[in-house]
Amino acid sequence: MGKKISAAAQLKSAESLAAAISMIDGASAEVSTRSSGTQDRHTIKGSCTPASWRELAETLESKHGIDYCSMITGIHWPDAADKTWEVIYHLMRTGVTDPRHENGIVQPNITAAGSLKGGKVPLEIEISIALPDTRTPSVASVQDIWVGADWNEKETWDLVGIDFDGHEKMRRVLNPHETPVGYHPLQKQHKLRYHGFEEMYDDVQGFRRKPADAGKVK
Amino acid sequence: MAEMWISMGPQHPMTHGLWTLKIKVDGETVIDTEPDLGYIHRGVEKICEARNFTQITTYCDRLCYASANTWSHAYIYATEDLLDVEVPERAEYIRLVAVEIQRIASHLMWLGAYGPDIGNLSIMVWCLREREMMMDLLQELGGSRLHYNFPRVGGVKRDLPHGFAHRARAKLTLFQNRIQEYEALFDESTIFLVRSQGVGYAKPEEMINAGVSGPNVRAAGVDYDIRWAHPYSVYSELDWAPAVERSSIKGADCYDRYRIRIEEMKESASMVLQALDKMPGGAETYHEPGDPKILAKAPSRAAEGTTGYHHFEDSRGESMFYIAGGGEGRGKMPYRVSIRSPMFITIPFAAKCMVGYKVADIPAIMGSFDPCIGETDR
Repeated sequence: MGKKISAAAQLKSAESLAAAISMIDGASAEVSTRSSGTQDRHTIKGSCTPASWRELAETLESKHGIDYCSMITGIHWPDAADKTWEVIYHLMRTGVTDPRHENGIVQPNITAAGSLKGGKVPLEIEISIALPDTRTPSVASVQDIWVGADWNEKETWDLVGIDFDGHEKMRRVLNPHETPVGYHPLQKQHKLRYHGFEEMYDDVQGFRRKPADAGKVK
Repeated sequence: MAEMWISMGPQHPMTHGLWTLKIKVDGETVIDTEPDLGYIHRGVEKICEARNFTQITTYCDRLCYASANTWSHAYIYATEDLLDVEVPERAEYIRLVAVEIQRIASHLMWLGAYGPDIGNLSIMVWCLREREMMMDLLQELGGSRLHYNFPRVGGVKRDLPHGFAHRARAKLTLFQNRIQEYEALFDESTIFLVRSQGVGYAKPEEMINAGVSGPNVRAAGVDYDIRWAHPYSVYSELDWAPAVERSSIKGADCYDRYRIRIEEMKESASMVLQALDKMPGGAETYHEPGDPKILAKAPSRAAEGTTGYHHFEDSRGESMFYIAGGGEGRGKMPYRVSIRSPMFITIPFAAKCMVGYKVADIPAIMGSFDPCIGETDR
């Protein structure tokens, strides 16, 4: 009834892109199916080594039309067996092109969503990169491939402390500019404790302290 | 004339929240810009690591005061992906109603704020009048005025109250008629046209590469929309098409970005009316909170090593949550919650858009991208 893409075409497109990603040394990908609402979405879940990330990103952008960098997430895994740091890229294929114009009048692009095929089908791609145990984790920057990655990379460095090689004008974006060097709040050594309701307030108004809590900062 | 840097903000009438825009000017012309964010960084991502999946919803509401429902829904969809929950169809329809009414309210807030930005003060009062109708409807659903905490993992908090469908139909039909009033106010205001037309051009391919999405891209003549490109909820059951603006050859200007939001409000109103008609079980039926028709059972813990994410069409572009489940060691809390704010990515792009224009054009260009600092700084 309404406008939507064909799940079968998306599956086919995702399978061929996953196969193409797996051809690159150090990279692998598979199709992962997500369901919410009326139709399954076939997405790509992949991983690659830090060394092959730059080549993979260039291939995705130039050969497979991955034109949109949605989000970059950094995760600190101090207790995990196989990795200490992880960077996850969420990329998308939107298939957006500048609309053509006739006699100076722009003709808006109206996509026939149901009949999109092959390299035109919108796709969601997740690439994760595991980084080894080091005090200065870093991965190649893709700022020049997708401008949208620029501030995502700044944020990931600012909050998680993962650096991006080749990133120009790296700076603090959410933390204050004078934040001490090496302080990245989303690293797991900075603990956050959940205060239960009964812990935060000793009585309804919160005036009296329990004897055990006297002198504690809450 | 000598070039110099000027700081606009953090306190400035145009800024819609606290942030600084550093501009380098040569006389009256802007030649470089640098946004400086983070004034209201609250560390929501860190706080979420010490909350369980239900508690996080309220924090997501507070990411953006103008569009609370879309944010909590974006989070809920990601959580459902993580916990692998199937949502009852009726709940999906109720969510769609809540989200689309919120989209109208958010666009009205933007329109109301954009008028004074560029010298049309009376429009604010008119927009807030209609926004109030939408807030009343949302208040009936969620119980509070701005931060509703309405969706739950697996469904929604409450069913549509008695008489909601009737009132919603009346208000949305009235709203559809009143949109003409805004069009008359804006499109016949010389000062508005002079200040919004021909400034702040942006082209679609360039915007997509820069991570800009949503209405700002559709204003430039493409119909890319997460709601059909990555179908979720029950949008495909409704008869709709994303609003698209016929921009100029140079791309979308501020006027196109105003037009697209007017058209989107019309589209959203029509979607809500359709959803009320099509709702399984009928919009007049009422189920008690917790009924399996509106709330599916959901696990409270995520298995070790699971992750979930969801791309969501927010009022301002593509919002997204990525959640890494913590497993037994973390109890009911997620290991990492990562938030993609559309405006965090759009503001640097919008700042580059003003290069070459005059200082007086800055409010017109910046405001037309609909910045919201609450979600930007999270």
